[in-house]
Amino acid sequence: MADLGGAGLSEAGGAAAMHAGGTLGPLARAQYGALARLRWRMFSNGMRSNKGMLELGARTFSYLVYAMIGLGLGAGSGITTYFLVAGGHWNFLPVLFWVLAFLWQVIPVMLASFQEQFDLGILLRFPVRFGSYVLLYLVFGLLDISTVLGGLCCVGIWFGFAAARPGLLLWTTLALGMFAAFNILMVRAIFVWIDRWLAQRRTREILGAIFMVAVLSLQLLNPALYQTRHSGKNSPRQQVEQFNAAKTRYTPWLKKANGVQKWLPPGLAALALGEAIENQPLKGLGSLGVMGLYALVAGGVLATRLKAEYRGENLGSAPAREKAILNRAKAVASFPGAASAGRDAGWAPGGKLSGSGAIAAVMEKDVRSLMRTLPLLYAIGAPLVLVLVFSGIFIRNGGAQASMFPLALPVCMVYAQLGFTQVFYNNLGTEGAGIQVYFLSPTPFRTVLLAKNLLHSMLFAAVALLAGVLTTLRLGVADNAVIAATAAWLLFSLPCNLAAGDLFSLKMPYRVNPGRLARQRGSQANALLSLLVQLCILVVGAAVFSLAWFLDRMWLAAPIFLVLAVGAVFAWRRVLDRVDAIAYGRRDDLMQTLMKQS
Amino acid sequence: METAAIQTRGLTRRFGALTAVEDVTLSVAPGQFFGFLGPNGAGKSTTIKMLTGLLEPTAGTVEILGQPFGAGALDLKRQIGVVPEGMALMGRLTATEYLHFVGRMYGLDRQTTNLRTQELLDFMQLANESRKLVTDFSHGMQKKLALAAAVIHGPKVLFLDEPFEGVDAIAAGMLKNMLTGMINRGATIFLTTHVLEIVERLCSHVAIISKGRLVANGSLEELRAGVASTLPGAEQEQRLTLEEIFLSIVGAGEVQESAQELTWLT
Repeated sequence: MADLGGAGLSEAGGAAAMHAGGTLGPLARAQYGALARLRWRMFSNGMRSNKGMLELGARTFSYLVYAMIGLGLGAGSGITTYFLVAGGHWNFLPVLFWVLAFLWQVIPVMLASFQEQFDLGILLRFPVRFGSYVLLYLVFGLLDISTVLGGLCCVGIWFGFAAARPGLLLWTTLALGMFAAFNILMVRAIFVWIDRWLAQRRTREILGAIFMVAVLSLQLLNPALYQTRHSGKNSPRQQVEQFNAAKTRYTPWLKKANGVQKWLPPGLAALALGEAIENQPLKGLGSLGVMGLYALVAGGVLATRLKAEYRGENLGSAPAREKAILNRAKAVASFPGAASAGRDAGWAPGGKLSGSGAIAAVMEKDVRSLMRTLPLLYAIGAPLVLVLVFSGIFIRNGGAQASMFPLALPVCMVYAQLGFTQVFYNNLGTEGAGIQVYFLSPTPFRTVLLAKNLLHSMLFAAVALLAGVLTTLRLGVADNAVIAATAAWLLFSLPCNLAAGDLFSLKMPYRVNPGRLARQRGSQANALLSLLVQLCILVVGAAVFSLAWFLDRMWLAAPIFLVLAVGAVFAWRRVLDRVDAIAYGRRDDLMQTLMKQS
Repeated sequence: METAAIQTRGLTRRFGALTAVEDVTLSVAPGQFFGFLGPNGAGKSTTIKMLTGLLEPTAGTVEILGQPFGAGALDLKRQIGVVPEGMALMGRLTATEYLHFVGRMYGLDRQTTNLRTQELLDFMQLANESRKLVTDFSHGMQKKLALAAAVIHGPKVLFLDEPFEGVDAIAAGMLKNMLTGMINRGATIFLTTHVLEIVERLCSHVAIISKGRLVANGSLEELRAGVASTLPGAEQEQRLTLEEIFLSIVGAGEVQESAQELTWLT
C-alpha cells in the first residue's frame, strides 16, 4: 500500500496494478482480507462488554443446538438415502429432495428475525468489484443456518448414497453439489427480492395484506376440507378401505404431480441420481444440465438485483413509488381542499381511541408501525399456520372428535402465543431513532410500556380468540373445564410474558428493520432467554394441567392458574414501576442499540 | 437577579477512561440565542444530550428555567424542545402521523395537535409530502420535520443539534426567520452548528468547547475583543469574523500545519 509520505506517479501506478485483476485479483483479495479482519474485530470488540459476552454465550449455545439438529437431519437423510437406494426404492428419492429443498428455502424466513446478518451494502462506498460483491454476498450466505443445515443434509445423503453405491461417488458429488448450489443461489435471490419489494411502501402493504389474507384463508379452508373426513373412529378394516379409496382418488393426481416435479430442481437431482443407478449417464447428464440451467437462472435473478444495489439504487426511492407519489400529488393539487381532508381522514380511524393522550398516542403509533412491519406481522401470523398443522395432527391421531387429545386447545394456544415472542420481548425494537422521543417528552417510560403492553395484550387476545375459534371449529368444542383452565392459563402467562418482555426490551433490545425480512440484526441472547422464560411458563402450565389430570379434577386447574395469575399481574406491575429507573439508567445503551444503522 | 434559562455547573461526562466533557459551567439568559461551537468530537453533542436528559452526567448539575433538570423532571420537559443528533424520527410513520404522535406525547389535545401539525407542515413546506413515510424523506426534509416536532408544543427553551445540516438555502432562511421570531417572543435557543455564518448572524452569545473543556464564553463582541487583544497592534483594529475567532481559539495552528501535509494529494 502507498505510504502517506511521498507517493507520486509510481505509487499511482502501483495502485493501478492493485486495481488490476478480477474477483480474485490483488485488490479483491486485500478487500476480502480486510473484511475478514473487520468481522473479527467486530466479534472481539463485541466481547468487551457483558452484553457482548452474553451474546457470545447465547450464540455458542444456539450453534450447538443447530449443529445437533443439523447432524440429526444429516444422519436421518443419510440413513433414509441408504435404505432407499440399497433397497431399490430410489424412485422415492424425490420426496427426500423436495423436503430438503422446502426446508432450505423456508427456514431462513422463519429465522430471519433471530439471525444476525451482515449488511454488505456498507461495502458499496469502496472500490469493490461487482464480482467480489456477489461473491461476498454468497460467502456470507453460506453461514446462514438454512445453508448449514441443508449442507449437512447433503453430506448425509452423500454418505448414504456412497455406502449403497460406492461406484457412483463422483456422480453423487456432482449432483448434490449442483443441488446445493441451486438452493444457495435461490434462497439468496428470494431474500434479496423480498427486501426489494419491502422497500416500497405500496408493495410492502400489498404483501402484508396478501400474507394476512393467506393465513386467514388457510385457517378457514382447512376445517372445511378436513372436518367431514374425520367424522368417527374407524376400525382397521375401514382404515384400509379409506386408504385404498384415497389411493384411487389421488394416484392420477400424484402421477401428474410426478410428471411436473421431475422437471424441477429437487426432482432433477433425484432423477439424475436414479439415472446413474440405472446406468444411463447420458440421461443423467441431461438432468444435471437442466438443473444447472435452474441454478444459472437463480443466479441471474440474484445478480440482477445485486447489480441494481451495486449501482447505488436507493431502495427508498424506487421508481414505482416515486410515480405513485407524483400521481397522488397531482390528484391533490387538482382538487382544492383534498389534501387536508385526506390527511385528516387518514388519521381519523385511529383517533377514535380516547383515554390518556400519551397511552392512546403510543397505541395508535404502534398500530400503524405494526401494519407496516412485515417481519412482525409474519411473526404474529405464522404460528396460526402452526395451529392449523397441529390441529391436523390431533385429528389424524384422534380420529374422532370425541376421542381427540383433550388438551389440544391449550396446546394450540401455546403456539399462538409463541408468535408474540418478538413483540413481547423486544417491544422497542422498531422505534429506531424515535426512541429519543420517549426520553425527551414529559411522558414517563412506564406509560409508554404500559401502552405497548395494553396494545400487545389486545392483539394477543384477538389472535388467541381466532386460534381458539378455529381450533374449536376444527376439533370440536373442548371440555368446559379445559376451556376455563386454558383461559386462566392465558391470564397467568400473559402478564408473565409482559413483565419479562418489558425487562428484556430494556436490557437486551435489538433493532428491527421494519422494511426487511432478511439481513436483520437480531440478538441471540434475547431470542434464547425469551424462549427459556416461555419454556418456564409452559412447564408451570404443564405441571398444573398434569396435576389436575392426575387427580381427575380438571376443574382444579382454572383456580390454580387464577391464583398464579394474581401473582403474575403483581409481578408485571412491579416491573412497570421499575421501568423508568431501568430505562433512564440504560438510556445511552438503549439509544445506541436502537439507532444503530447497520 | 434574573433566573437563567439554562445553567450548568461543573458538568462532566466520562465514558470509561475518556472524558468527553469536563467541568463545563455556563449560563444562558432567557431570550438569548446561544451558539455552542466546537470542532468535531469536542463534546458538543454530549453536552446537549446531558442538557436535554438524554444522557446522565457523571458529575455536575443542570438547571433549566431555574429548576434542577434530570430524567424525572417531566414538567420541565414540557418547557423544552429538542432536535437531537439522531433527529428522533420514526421512519414508519408519515409526517402527519409523526407530528400528531409527538404533540400528544407532549400533552397537547387532539384538536390543538391537528391545527399545529397542519400549520407546521405548511410552514416547513412539507404539506405535499405529508403522506410519505418519514423513512422516504430526504435528509433535509427530515431535518425540517425534526424541527417541526421540536416546536409543536411551543417550548420556552429550544435545543438544536446541527439543525441546518443538509437543509437547502431556502429552507435555512425560513428556519432562521422562525427561530428569530421565537427569540423575539421570549424563547431561549441553544444551538450547535458548524455553519459559523449562521451563528454570527443569529446568536448574541457564543461558547466554544474544545477537547471537552469550555475555552471561550461570552457575547460575540467580548470574544472578538478577547482574541483581538492577543494580536499585534495593527491587526487589533480589524473586525474579526467568527471563523477567525474560532480558529484562533481552537485550531489555527492545526489548520496551518495540516496544510503542509498530504503532499501526495493532487
